[in-house]
Formats: sequence, structure tokens, C-alpha cells
Amino acid sequence: MKNKPFLSSSLLLLLAILLSLAIGSVFISPSEIWQTILGQGTDISTSILWKIRLPRTVLIALTGAALGGSGATYQGLFRNPLADPFLIGVASGAGLGAVIAMSVKWPYSFWGLMAIPMAAFVAALLTVFIVYNLARVGRTVPTTSLILAGVAFSSFATSLTSFLMLRSTGEVRRALGWLLGGASQSGWTAILAIAPYLIIGLGILIFSGHALNLLQFGDDQAQQLGLNVPRAKRILLIASSLSTAAAVAFSGIIGFIGLVVPHLIRLWFGPDYRRLLPLSILGGAASLIISDVIARVVLAPQEIPVGIVTSLAGAPFFLWVLRRSKNQGFW
Amino acid sequence: MFRKILILTLLIALLTACAPQATPIVDNFPTEIVATEAPTEAPVSAALTFTDGLGREIQLDGPAQRVVSLAPSNTEILFAIGAGAQVVGRDEFSDYPVEAASIGSIGGSMGQYSAEAIVASTPDLVLAAEINTPELVKQLEDLGLTVYYLKNPTTIEEMYTNLETVGQLTGQDVTELVDSLKARVAAVDEKVATTTDKPVVFYEIDASDASKPFTYGPGTFGDLLITRAGGVNFSTAAGITDAYPQVSLEQIVATNPAMIVLGDSMWGTTPESVQARAGWDAIDAVKNNQIFPFDDNLVSRPGPRLVDGLEQLAKLLHPDLFK
Repeated sequence: MKNKPFLSSSLLLLLAILLSLAIGSVFISPSEIWQTILGQGTDISTSILWKIRLPRTVLIALTGAALGGSGATYQGLFRNPLADPFLIGVASGAGLGAVIAMSVKWPYSFWGLMAIPMAAFVAALLTVFIVYNLARVGRTVPTTSLILAGVAFSSFATSLTSFLMLRSTGEVRRALGWLLGGASQSGWTAILAIAPYLIIGLGILIFSGHALNLLQFGDDQAQQLGLNVPRAKRILLIASSLSTAAAVAFSGIIGFIGLVVPHLIRLWFGPDYRRLLPLSILGGAASLIISDVIARVVLAPQEIPVGIVTSLAGAPFFLWVLRRSKNQGFW
Repeated sequence: MFRKILILTLLIALLTACAPQATPIVDNFPTEIVATEAPTEAPVSAALTFTDGLGREIQLDGPAQRVVSLAPSNTEILFAIGAGAQVVGRDEFSDYPVEAASIGSIGGSMGQYSAEAIVASTPDLVLAAEINTPELVKQLEDLGLTVYYLKNPTTIEEMYTNLETVGQLTGQDVTELVDSLKARVAAVDEKVATTTDKPVVFYEIDASDASKPFTYGPGTFGDLLITRAGGVNFSTAAGITDAYPQVSLEQIVATNPAMIVLGDSMWGTTPESVQARAGWDAIDAVKNNQIFPFDDNLVSRPGPRLVDGLEQLAKLLHPDLFK
């Protein structure tokens, strides 16, 4: 299987999707799924499959893909194994935007319900913009400055978010639920809303493997090897931040996927970013779907926020793989 | 070798997929509805129209017979008006009355409700409260369910209106219940009016940090009921405007309440533990041991038990008037 990374990743993704469609409060077997797709399922399974499970699975898959892809990108961009999609403040910025939006009583209309995801999205992008400009020196952006500015802004945004949550009367539960992550809005609206950004963002990232490989040598070396480093960094930042912002807007903050999935792929299939990026995208989607299934099943009918499951289940799994891995570790 | 095993596994999986359909495994739900004896005299019209708390138009063909409640307050209301047999699903926190526990839970403990569980219980009405988000309402609406969003009342009188609304939704006559509640509230009002002594009450919601506890401020039912029960809420005495302020111990000592009501007694706080707190012995309430445990649900759930809360607070505040 080591020689067929794309095949095994795609198979894993397919299996995860199948599990997600089958498992829930009502178990729909694969044959029933097939029948429902053909239009011959029972009323309940048709309704549950098309209206609840399929949109939820697709949304979770897209979110996981975005997180995996941007996680791998950030790790390559910052040459840092601890980098995750939320390193430069996207998560805290989005959280702040969402919590601010939650303190307003929006009318119950299409745009009223879109207000919070849109606020989260815009705030996330605004955060990256601010952090980028804080760290910029002329036309170059030193990586360390970017990380420092991101961490500082993150703390600021997080404390502001906590403050607002404490002061808001009825919205703390809602804010907390959003911050812990999960597909709260079901239906195809969310998917249609984020699809364009994800297509653009992930599309750019998939073809950025070569640039990221060059960046591993350091900014100066990469420049000498022919890469336009400031431009490449900017494009990579924009693409990954766009994907992360879109992922966070509807699914809240789901940590760990962006950090761990690229590492797992690296352990199994090597550090070449031309493979690592697309595989992280596939792997991120698969692992988030599986986490979501676990979140739905473990305490049924309770649904644990996905962000909790990814950390609780992901950390031991990752540690286990790390210990078993015979590689010297590429970091 | 591995590849062969993989292909073999896939083939086996495909074969099992062609096996006979698995029947849906639906735990928790009563699949039969208990026939309800609706002692209603309200006219059952062909179509009932309502406007809910979010301004949405709700249409029912008749009184709802299968109701899913998304909040403990709604569950309490449904049982209080006699519609308990019509409840087919309730949220995880619905613990009153005791009969509610035997109804299937549809989630909600971490703010996440299982849409599948709600759909699988085939309700004809989903009763949401202000504790539920508009996103949840939209999600359930998109799944084809009828959702009624019951806004929180801001006064006891508005609570009566909510009871009447839910009564119309479920085909229950609530006049008797509302009349008895009104009578009890009037009795409290009458007795409270005879006294001019209005002790300052500190209602403790949470004191995990004993130097900075949380209390009720203006706009909450805690504040409203304390005032109506013949007391002065600490927040009013201290001039606080936030609804759930976190106040400093210094402020409490300065305002010197005559009574402390422990809304966090269900989480283990006792009068003894309050006596033991450093710096609290400067407060009159602690000196005179006027510290009382209290069931916070009577004050925080916007249902008919608010009247219970009012009566209990009145008894605590004016024991001489309420023998």
C-alpha cells in the first residue's frame, strides 16, 4: 500500500463516506443506500439520507479537506511541525466575528441566518490581512514575524471573545457550541455558500506542491532556485486562509485535523509536498468524517461537538502511530 | 499480497451489501402513540394558524398529537397543561416532571440536537424555546417539520399567555391551570402588600470563585420574583444593570444583604460552605445564618413552576406572613 497512496487514501475516503451515510440513529445499510439513490428507498431513509446525512457528510468532508490542505500548507510555509491552520489567528478571528454577530438579534430570514457564518468568514480573512500586514517588512514577510504577530493577535481575539461571551446573557451556550465545532446548519445552503472559496483555495493548493518543496530549503535558497518567494508565500497564504475561513464559517473551530493529518501522511508516504498536499486533503476529509461518525454514535442520541472528538480520539491515535513508525521522523 | 487482501475485502463487503435490508434500529422511541384524552372544550377548527416568537407563520391541521420538546421549560409546560401523553421526544435536560424521563431523548446536552432522532420520532409539532438557536429551527424546518418557537416571557402574565398558546397548539384547555396560578400569585401579592419590610436578598447563581460570584440582575426572572415576593434584589440595591453580573465580594459586603439564597445548591453549595468562606462573615446574612438553599430551576425555567418559585421565595423572605 505504500506504493499506492492515492488509491488507499481514496478508498479510505469512500469507506468513511459510506460509514457516515449508513450510521446514525437509524442504521441504513449499504444496499438501502443504493436503493434510496435509485429512488426506491423508504420515506424515512430517503428523508434522512438526502436531507440530513448526505449534506452533512459533504459539508464535513469539505471542511476536513480544507483543514488538511491548509494544515499541510502552513507546515510547509512556516517550516514548522507545530503549524496548524489556525496558527496565524484565523480561528480566533472567526470566533470573534461569530460571537460579535451572535450578540445581535438577526431577523429570521435567509440573510439573517447567514449573518453569523458570513461574519465568521469575513473576520477570519480580516485577521489574516491584519496579521500579514503587521508582520510585513516592505515586500517580504519574515516567517517568524508572521507567527509572532499571529499568536499575539490570536490571544487578543480570544480574550475579547471570552469577554463578550461572559457579558452576553443568553448566547453563551450558542457561542460555546459554535466554538467547539460541528455541522450546525444542515442542508445544501452551507455547502453552496462555501464551495466557491474551497474550490479556489484547494485548487491552488493542490498545484503548489513544487513551490512548497522549494520553500523547505529556506527563503534565500528557494529564491535562488527560481521561486518568486514573496509572491508564492502570498498566494499560499491567501489560498489556505480562504479555505480555512470557509471551513470555519459553518463548522466552527475543529482543531487537530490540520495539525495531525499532514504528519500522518508524512509518516506513511513521505514529505514530498506534491503528494503530501493532495493526500492531506483526502486524508483530512476522511478523518473528519470518521470523527463525525464517532461524535454521533458514542453517546447517541447525544451528539458531541466534533472538535472534542478530533482531539480526544486523534491524539492517542497519532501518538500510537508515532511510536510504531520506524521512520526517523522527518522533523 | 496486501493488494490481494484489499480486493478480497472489498468483494466481501459488496456481497454483504447485497444482503437483505437491515431494519432500522431505533432505540428510545415509543413507536405507538398513546391515545390522548383531551378534555378540551376549545373548538377544533380545520386549520390552526399561529405566529411564533420568530415571526414565523405556523399552520397545524389540528391540535398536535406528537410533540417533540426541545427545552426543559417546554416539557414542564406540556406536562402541566395535561399534554404529557402527547410528548414523543424531549431534550436531554428535561427532568421535570418525573414522567418526562421515560420519554425518548433527542439530544441537546451539548447544544447539539440529533436531527435524525427528531425526524425519526415523526412529530407533528416541534416546540422550541429561546434557548434553542434560530439555526436549529431552520434546520428542522428544512427537514419538513413544523416548529413553533416559544419566546421567553418577561413577566408572569406573559407566562400565562405562553401556557394558553401551547394549550391551543396541543388542544388542551388551560383555563383551570391559569386561574389557579393567578390565584396563587394574587395570594402572595396580597400578603406581601401588608408589609413594608423588604430585605435585601443576594441570590447566588454560582460562586466557583467565592470572591466573584454571579447573581441575577435586572431583566431576569430571579430579579422579578424576588421583587414580587417582597424583597429587594441585590443587583437593584447595588445599582447593577447587567443581567447576569459577576460581582465582587467587596460589593456584597458593602451592600450587606440580609439574606442569601443559594441557587447553586443543586451543585453542592451548602449554607455551611458559605459560612466557611473567607471574608463572607462580614455580611449580615452570614452573621444571622440567613442562608437558604434553593432550586434554581424554579426561577430560571420560564414555565408554570415560576409560581412555585415565587411562593418559596416569599416564604423565605417573609416567614411570618406565610405560616
